[in-house]
Order: sequence, then C-alpha cells, then structure tokens
Amino acid sequence: MANAVIMPKAGITVESCIIGTWEKKVGDEVNVEDVLFTYETDKASFECESTAQGTLLEIFFEDGDEVPCLVNVCAIGTKGEDCSALRPDAANDTVEEAPQEKPEAPVVNIAETTAVQGSATAISPRAKKLAERAGIDASLATPTGPNGRIIERDVREIMNNATAKAVVQDAVPAKAVEVAEEYEDIKFSGIRRAISESMHKSLSTIAQLTHNTSFDASAILAYRKQLKAIGGDYAGITLGDIVLYAVSRTLLNHPDLNANMLDNNTIRRFKHVNLGVAVDTPRGLMVPTIFHADEMSLLEISKATKELAAQCREGNISPDKLSGGTFTVSNLGSLGVESFTPVINPPQTGILGVCNIVDKVRKGADGEIELYSAMGLSLTYDHRAVDGSPAARFQKELGENLENFTVLLAL
Amino acid sequence: MPKNLFVDPNEVRQAGKVVFNDIPVNQYNKTIKEELKSGKYTKEDLIRIFRDMTVLREFETMLNLIKTQGSYNGIDHTYPGPAHLSTGQEAACVGQAYLLDENDFAFGSHRSHSEILAKALSTIQKMSDEQLMEVMENFLEGKCLRATEKLGECKDVKELAIRFILYGTLSEIFARETGFHMGMGGSMHAFFLPFGIYPNNAIVGGSGTISTGAALYKKINDKKGIVVCNVGDAAMARGPVWEALNFSAMDQYKTLWESHNDGMPILYNIFNNSYGMGDQTRGETMGQDRMSRIASGVSPTQFHAETVDGFNPLAVIEAMERKLELLRNGQGPVMLETITYRFSGHSVSDQNAYRTKEEIDTWKECDPLVTYPAKLVEAGVLTEDEVNAILKETSDRMTMICKAAADPEISPYCDFNKDPAVVERLMFSNEKVEKFDNREPEYLVPKEEAEAYKKIKSKVRNSVDENGKPVSKMKMFNLRDALSEVIYDRFYEDPTLIAYGEDCRDWGGAFAVYRGMMDALPHSRIFNSPLAEGAIVGTAVGYALSGGRALVELMYADFIGCAGDEIFNQMSKWQAMSAGILKMPVVLRVSVGSKYGAQHSQDWTALCAHIPGLKVCFPATPWEAKGLMESALKGTDPVVFFESQRIYDVGEQFHEGGVPEERYEIEFGDVNKVRDGKDVTIITIGAALYRAMDAAKQLSEKYGMEADVINLHSLVPLDYEKIVESVRKTGRVVLVSDACARGSFLNDVAKNITELCFDDLDAPPVVIGARNWITPPFEFDEFFFPQASWILDAINEKIVPLPNYVVQNGCTETEALRRAKQGV
Repeated sequence: MANAVIMPKAGITVESCIIGTWEKKVGDEVNVEDVLFTYETDKASFECESTAQGTLLEIFFEDGDEVPCLVNVCAIGTKGEDCSALRPDAANDTVEEAPQEKPEAPVVNIAETTAVQGSATAISPRAKKLAERAGIDASLATPTGPNGRIIERDVREIMNNATAKAVVQDAVPAKAVEVAEEYEDIKFSGIRRAISESMHKSLSTIAQLTHNTSFDASAILAYRKQLKAIGGDYAGITLGDIVLYAVSRTLLNHPDLNANMLDNNTIRRFKHVNLGVAVDTPRGLMVPTIFHADEMSLLEISKATKELAAQCREGNISPDKLSGGTFTVSNLGSLGVESFTPVINPPQTGILGVCNIVDKVRKGADGEIELYSAMGLSLTYDHRAVDGSPAARFQKELGENLENFTVLLAL
Repeated sequence: MPKNLFVDPNEVRQAGKVVFNDIPVNQYNKTIKEELKSGKYTKEDLIRIFRDMTVLREFETMLNLIKTQGSYNGIDHTYPGPAHLSTGQEAACVGQAYLLDENDFAFGSHRSHSEILAKALSTIQKMSDEQLMEVMENFLEGKCLRATEKLGECKDVKELAIRFILYGTLSEIFARETGFHMGMGGSMHAFFLPFGIYPNNAIVGGSGTISTGAALYKKINDKKGIVVCNVGDAAMARGPVWEALNFSAMDQYKTLWESHNDGMPILYNIFNNSYGMGDQTRGETMGQDRMSRIASGVSPTQFHAETVDGFNPLAVIEAMERKLELLRNGQGPVMLETITYRFSGHSVSDQNAYRTKEEIDTWKECDPLVTYPAKLVEAGVLTEDEVNAILKETSDRMTMICKAAADPEISPYCDFNKDPAVVERLMFSNEKVEKFDNREPEYLVPKEEAEAYKKIKSKVRNSVDENGKPVSKMKMFNLRDALSEVIYDRFYEDPTLIAYGEDCRDWGGAFAVYRGMMDALPHSRIFNSPLAEGAIVGTAVGYALSGGRALVELMYADFIGCAGDEIFNQMSKWQAMSAGILKMPVVLRVSVGSKYGAQHSQDWTALCAHIPGLKVCFPATPWEAKGLMESALKGTDPVVFFESQRIYDVGEQFHEGGVPEERYEIEFGDVNKVRDGKDVTIITIGAALYRAMDAAKQLSEKYGMEADVINLHSLVPLDYEKIVESVRKTGRVVLVSDACARGSFLNDVAKNITELCFDDLDAPPVVIGARNWITPPFEFDEFFFPQASWILDAINEKIVPLPNYVVQNGCTETEALRRAKQGV
C-alpha cells in the first residue's frame, strides 16, 4: 500500500508551509530519511525527509505551493500502484489560490464604465465559480439570465472587456518583447512575503515615530579592546553584543517598552526581556529571540546571538525561536548607517536601531573643542503605548549605561 | 386467429346444451386394514406418514410458541417476522407430497411451512444417501450442512437430511445467514430447489401464474416431473389465478402445437380451509360452493377435478395417484380441492372473531394428528407407546433445531454493519448466458432460409445511402428490423428461448416485430397468449426461474397495470429474495403508443425504474435497439424493454456507418451521445430524441448555440459519467421525455445532475415532460407531448434568453405553481 508523506508541522503555531524545491521527482526511488523537498515557514526553511521507502508515485503540490501542515504532499509506494486515495481533498487545496488575493486591476476600470447594474443578487453557481477563479467581482456583471440572474456569459463579458481594455492600454508601448527582457518578475518567497506583510501591517496600523540620539562610545570601545586582548570567546564579543546587554538591563526600568500591544486597549508588560535580534540572511530579514536576556551575562548574550544568527543563515532555526520577543534591536552600524527609522515588529512597542560610530566634537571640560567617538541610537516606539518623554528617558538612560558600561556590568 | 381453425357459423350457432360431468366429492372410504391388505402400503409407510405429520405439527407449534410466548421448550427467542400457520393442514400436505419426488416442483401458498416440509420429507425418503449428501454438500457451499452437523451425532443420512431441511427452513424464517436464502426470503418465501420445493409467495395466489410458467418450462423443454400449484381457497378469487388456469388450458396445445402438444403438466391444488384471513369463502365472499367446480368454467375436461378429504392422508394420496396418472399421460391440467381446516389463527394476532370455539373444537375432534394414529393403533400397526415415542422423537429433534437456529453463534445474522452491500450484491445477477440448454433449438425453417430474416438482411442499414440521399422507407433497416434481427439470432442459439404475448404469432406482434417468425419457428417457441397480462408476465417468471429464457410482450405499456404484481413483486424480487439462487432471464417488451388516446399512449418508465430489481431500457434508434436487445437476451436479469410506436420505422441517423451487420451488445447503463455541442446539454428518453434533435437544429441555425444531445437508452442501471462530463462542459441541461412530467424518471436524473454538477450549472436543470393530463386525441398531440418549441421555450425562459425569441408556450413559474396547486 502506498504511503503518504505529510507536510510537517514546523512549530506549534505554524499552520502552513511553502514548498521550496523538490529534490526528488516522480518515479525516483527514495529511502527513509532521503530529502524529498525543502519547505519554508514564514520564518525559516527546512528539509523534509522521507518517512517511507519506495517509488515516489505522485507529487500533490509543486514548488512554491503553500500546503497546510499535516496534509499529504506526496505518495510513496510500489511502482504502478494506485495512490489516488491519498490525494488531499480538493477543499484543502492550496491557500495560495484564495481568490481575494489576486484582484485584477482592470476590473475596476470596467466597473466604472458599467452603466447598468442588476439589482440581482442571483447568480448561477457556474457564473459564481468562474468569477471567483478569475478574481472578478461578479456583482459588477450585467445580468442577462432569466429573472435577472447573472449567468456565465455575463461574467465572461466582463473578462473579455477587461482583456480588450488591457490590450488597448498595452498597445501604446507596444514593444512588449523588448520590455520583457529588461526585468524579471520574482515571486516572493514565504519569508519575503511574511516580511512584506508584517512591515506593511506595522506601518499601517501603529502610531510609530523615531528619536535619534547618540552617546559617547569611548567606554565601550575601550572595554571591547580589553576583551579582544583577553582572546578566546571574549574576543568575539562585539559592540552590538554590548548594546544588547545594556538594553536588556535598561529595559527593566521601562516596562512599557518591554511589552506587547494586545489590542488597542491592553498592553502586556513582560517580567523578563526577550530580545529580538535582527539578522540579515540570504532569504531576508529574520529576527530570532534571546529569551530572558536580562538574566544572561554579556558573554552568554554574545554566544546566543552568534548561535541564533548562524541558525538563521543556515535556515534550520526552530520557528519557535522566531517569535516571542518583547523588544527588538536592529544593528545597521557596521553598514555605515548614521541614523534610520527602524520599523516596529508588532505587537512589540519599540525597536532600537544601532547606528555607526562617528567622530563628533564637543566642548571639553577645559572649554576646548574635542573629538570623541559617538554611536547613534535610533529608537522607534509605538506612541499608542509610550509617550515621547518616557521613550526619551529610556534612550537617555541607555546612553548613560553605555557610557558607564563597566558600572553597569558591576550591577 | 390461425387460419386453419375455421370459425364455422353453422357450428357455433347450432342449438344444444353445455354438459358437465359429475365432480367426485370425498369418495374415499377404505380402512387401514384394507389398505394394508391391498399391499399399497407397508406398515413402515403408514408409520412414516404419521411421523411426517408430527414433524409438521411440531414445527408450527414451536413457531406459534416463539411468536406468542417468546419461548419453546426452554429456548427463549424473539422473532418479529410473519408466521402464517396452517396447524391442522398437515395430513393434506403429507398426503399430497407422498408420491412426489425431487423432479416434481411444488409451489407454495403463503401458508406454506407444512407444504415445504412435507415435500422435503417425501423427497428425502426417495433419494439415496449419496444423492442427499451431494445435495447438502453443494448447497451454499455446504454452509447449511456445516451448521446442521454442529447439532451432534446422527444415526443416518436421512435423519441428517431431515435435520438439515428443518434447520435450513427455520434459520431462513429467523433471518439467519445460514438459512436457505440467507434469510432474505423468510417465512413467506422459503423454498429449497434441490428437493423440488419452489417458492411460496407472500402475495395470495402469487404462485398461480408462476407455477404455470414452470409447467410450461417442463412441457416445452421435456423436463421430468410435474408441477403442483398450491393455493388457498381465498386465492381462487384473484384474477391472475384465473388467468393462469386459462393459460394452462389453452386449446392450442392440442389443436396447433406441432410438438410438445401434451396437456400442461400441472396440478392446481386448492387447500380449502374455508377461510382467507377471516373471510369465509363458502357462504360469504365467494359463490362456487365447492372450489372443485371452478375448473368446469375453464375447460371441458373440468381439469378432472375432485374434492378430497384432506383430514385423511390416505384419501389425499389416493386422489394424488389419480391426478399424477392423468398428468403423466399428458392429460393435464388437473385440479384437486383438498378440504382441510386450520386450528391456528391466520396470524398470531387473530382473535378468531369470525368463528366460534364450538366450530374449532368440532374440527379438533377429527384432528388427523389424533384420528390417524388412533386408526393405526386400532389396526395394530402401532402401539400407544410407539405413538408416544414418535411424538417424543419429533419434539426432541425440534427442540434441538430451534435451539440451534436461535443461537447467533451457530446461526449468525448477515452482518450489515461489516458488509452494508450484502443485499446490493443480490439485486442483479449480471451474468451472460449464451444458451440455457445444449440441445439443438427447434425450428421449422433454418434461419438463413427464413424469408423474413432474409428480407431484413437485404435492407440498407443506414438512413442515408453512400451519396447522402435518404434511403426509401421500404428498403431501410429500421428500429423494428433491429429488434427482429436479434430475436431471430437468439431463437436459433438458445433452445429454451420462447416468445409469447398477445398476437405474437400470426399477426407478428401488434407492431410487426415478430413478422414472419410463424413460418420459421414452431408454436412451442412463439405463440399467442390469452389476453391476460398477469399470466403473460407471471408465467414468464415461472419459466425463467425454472431454467429457461422468456421474451414476453404486453403490446401497450399501459397494460403494465394489468400485470402489476407480476412485474413489480415477482419478476423484480425473486433473484434477491432467493439470495441469488434463482435467475430471472425475462425480457418484457412494452410499447409506448400514440394516436390511441388516454389508455394507449403512456410512457410508464418511471413506474418500472422505481421498483428495485428491474433493469429498464428504452432504445430510440435502430443501433440502440439491436445492441440492447442482444444484451437483454443474453443476460440473466429481468428487463422491461420499452419501445415507442412513433419510431418503429426510423432508420439509423446517428451511428456512424449505420447499424453494423455483426452482433454487438450495448451494456445496460451506457448512454448514447448523438450530437456534440458546447452550449447546452439535452438529455432524452424515447421518441422525444427526435424532437430534441429538431430543437438542437433550430438552436444551431437561428441562435448559434450548439447542443450536446444524449439519449438515455438505459434507465436502470445508469452510468452518469458521460452526463456529468457534458453538463460540466455546457453548464446547462434540458431533459425531455414523453412521460408525464410529474414523477418522470428524468426528475431523478435532474436531481442527481444538480447534486453532481451544482457548481457547474449556469441554470437549474429543466425537465420537460407531457402534461399531467389524460392523453387527448392524436389531433391535439402537440398540446400534450413535448415539442421542439417547448425545448426552445424552456431554454429561453429558464436557462438563457435567446435573441429575438418569441415564446410559444408559456412555462413561467407562476404557471408551474398554479398547475401544481391544481394537480394538473
């Protein structure tokens, strides 16, 4: 009897995954633990190993398809065997095809030109199905069926007009073939799509604004020098790690920034600091979480950060480590960014951008102008949860802690 | 209507009188001693007669106790089914069966336990041990025998066989898988073919026509033995029983048949217990006084009828001896009225409101179970102790059998949970049988020399010639020829195939499908039946379940009502009720009329399709007709074969190359796609196909719409695959037939399409049928039967408005609601 391989559930909260690429094709012989395909959650990428031995009989989903967890992805069995019973129910078909996701722009234009619209809500099942498939708002159709029913031909009429319109519009630039060579359409990966959605949601739903400050980085630069001289693991501690450490300690005094907005009326304050650390990976931005950073030593934070970053880059991080943050730190300093507006990772209430170190001048104790190394900090916060002054106070305290880092270490 | 039978006015108008012979009544008057002295019986014979009577009595005593008290000799059991008992009638049954063997078929009434058991005990006595073992081992792969063997040690094979028959019958009544028919028949439909015990029947008098068909089978196919038709006195009031008597007495067997011209080998035995359920046939609900009088109204032979005292087994045996001799000499049919009485009620709910205790007690005084052994004791054949020993042996055996039949370990029920398809598999046998006997088919002229057959073969098998010109009507191979050709072919292959019905022979069938066959085939293969639809179908059922193949005709489909029980209860159900042991190769041709008004124009496909167990088809083209008739006449299932008088003359217009010369079968279930289109599906049944094609033409020419047209030449079974494929493509479907729209089979098809294709439908499926009226005169046909314009109207008003279309007949929703409310 043929066996199905299911889409694994890659974490408690994961509902569906996107198939990356198939490593095997129909007809291949596979053994248990052979990699069948790669798949991504919105946060990480994995390899799916075969749970059965035999011939790969049928693949139910293609590269790029989104598949609900625990649904059959392929069938493995004896060559020639019927595996139709293992096909996932059509109802569980790819979420990707959900019609509302692909409205077609020209439809709107047609709507404007449709003079007579039926009062009818009546529509034949066939017309309804066609409209859904084509992503067309069937209520815009002019019903021509009996009793004012919208029938198939009415939906087709819209589709034909839309095509005609598109053709007319395209006719002006005309050299479609040459144009096509100058760009390439890349379908978003799961991670890219998740980032896209999350960022858009963040900026469209949160009242966020950014404060830019800087602090004298001399102390942490000196401390870092000492650590380098010691060597071993200590040599790996970066300025970023030091900032993380300082944030983990400072945040405890500013509970509204170490928090999640649950809804418009409720904020959840956390007793520990779970720091999200933005990591740049080939697949895109990922934000693993250092849980209970407030209880970790600087060295522990440093090690954890490296380990999580490595997992993210290799794509084998557990999805459970990609959520649960109470505050995020994003470091673009090494890339020469002087100040920026980091975007909050909802439902968190703040994100700290770490900028590069620049030489600044100030009036010294002796009244002389002096140069010092200043590091920029860009704090974006959710004004719904935190007002400007408390946010500035956090930023100020953080800067002071970093300027007196050895004292902070002693606490 | 044979020409060689001259209807002479001088003879029929001559003065004279009709003379009847005396009918003997209860003439037996011998003593036991006299019988012993004559050497007719040994002491053992006389004792066995008593033993058999005790077995019958105990069986029903047990059933009565189980029904009324839920307990028999300490065995508790609940049995919810029927128990129509005949306690008191044992001597009559044992006497009847005494001289019968396994080659004699006995059909039962619906009060049949004793009839069945008596025939079994008699047959067991006559069969050798080897024969008995063979029968028991082979029946249902020995399932029944294995269960019987669990009852314990057995002194000999005959005793084993007695236990076997009692156990098989009782577990059948108790609805057990180990019953003779897996419990699917039960009390009123129990039988056991290897002992010549044929079905009894829950329909009173149901055996009348069926047993006559079995006798016809024996007569035509030269089979050994005779047939006994057991009916009760009340059943003699039923039309089909009269039809059967007449069918068996037809003069033609003697006057016209070239061979097999003996009388019908059948005994009609009326067990007259004076009552139907509670109605008293003598003195109240009937008027014959003596039932034996009935045959005097059917035949000058008066069926050699006599009345015999069924309370004396020896009197019955002597009467049977006389009847069997007549039958074996070819002087059948014969009739016996066997006087008896049932002490038990009609059923356990009988309050005896219709008779006095005094009457019952008076009859009990002459209870054969008391009087017969007393005579044996008096004659010194048995002692009192020996009588008691026999009673004890019988009671002990019955207790053992009842215990086993009630025990779900030994006698399990069919497991419907584990196997929900248990009955489904029994509904059709779906076999193909080339011939039911290996002998040479009888004919008068070889097929190739038969004029009518040669003429059919010479016709152009298409509606147009090579140049696309229409073939002249006279030269064209039409639907009638297609049917005829196959029937000819099958007549010369299966020697058991017979065809009959009203005016089948000289007339060639009312619509000439059998034209010329009278010159090629003897009367025993194709003959005119009496105008008795119940007998036509019922005898075909009996002929088929006995092992032959019958093709019968009702002329007009409207006459289905006259054969309602035979079609709907008998022809349809015996395969499944016998758990597949009986086959039913009956093809029933019915023709949908036109021009002949309200009682001669109806398409009753829906009635037949509604009844489980019937296959139903309705070819509308010569290609369909040939393939379906071939399939029907090779199959083993009952088929109601609809034809239409509107289209017997059509040639093949759809099948590429016309109707093939060679033989082919169209499987039941298939549909015939006759036109390809993408815009609308039109589904048709029967002659409506041609009006649908007209509509399709107009759609194409005037409205630029192309129709897919599918003809449902098979209604049951029906494979929806091609229908669904078409409707998924077009999204629109109109269904048309000449059946009245209300309850038309197409409503069922439309409902299934709606379920199967809902999301693909662009409009609701529209069923078009005839009006729900009587059929008006032919002059007004277009107002009653669906026309091409009705199809266009329906498409325009309910599916997709047609450009510039003018509606010709209103089919608005308001109108539909009004008509439904009025019931018209």
